[in-house]
Amino acid sequence: MAALKTFWNSPMGPKTTHFWGPVANWGFVIAGLVDMQKPPEMISRNMTSAMCVYSALFMRFAWMVKPRNYLLLACHASNESVQLYQLSRWAKAQGYLEKKEPEGQH
Amino acid sequence: MAASKIQALWNHPAGPKTIHFWAPTFKWGISIANVADFSKPPEKISYPQQVAVTCTGLIWSRYSTVITPKNWNLFSVNVVMAGTGIYQLARKTRHDHFSEVQEVPAKE
Repeated sequence: MAALKTFWNSPMGPKTTHFWGPVANWGFVIAGLVDMQKPPEMISRNMTSAMCVYSALFMRFAWMVKPRNYLLLACHASNESVQLYQLSRWAKAQGYLEKKEPEGQH
Repeated sequence: MAASKIQALWNHPAGPKTIHFWAPTFKWGISIANVADFSKPPEKISYPQQVAVTCTGLIWSRYSTVITPKNWNLFSVNVVMAGTGIYQLARKTRHDHFSEVQEVPAKE
């Protein structure tokens, strides 16, 4: 009970934007997870590659920002995984990950 | 005179030697990717992804004014990001719900 109260009143808790910013970013992870069920033709190469670079950079950002934000770090680490996986699904569907004679169509 | 101004920017705590600069700068890539996707057929737009883009953009516009150091680069990129998300959502919603003229006879 006390722990909950501490969390509630924390300077990085749910009454602050330091909490809701990262929570919003989990939206990307959830969207990515939902989109894993969809056919790879629906994956956007532009968006997914942008996300991969974006989450890598923001993992570092979350570490360096004041106050240090572990929730954000966790979020971007997860997003990095999800987006890399989606990118690989897209690449596979395009034929980029064939072992012999890669014939990628654009 | 100009040199010292440039130096001030170069050495800024949210300047180009820091992640505080590059992370938000790259975030423009998401908006650019989204703008590139404006020309994609609405069937290919992902509702969950664009909702995430919009909500993230809106909340982060607020977040960037309360972190240390204050980050106007991050603020502007999130405002634009929210804008592109809203536009994509509008495109898909319009396509799914307001342009069924051809589909209705087929359904009935």
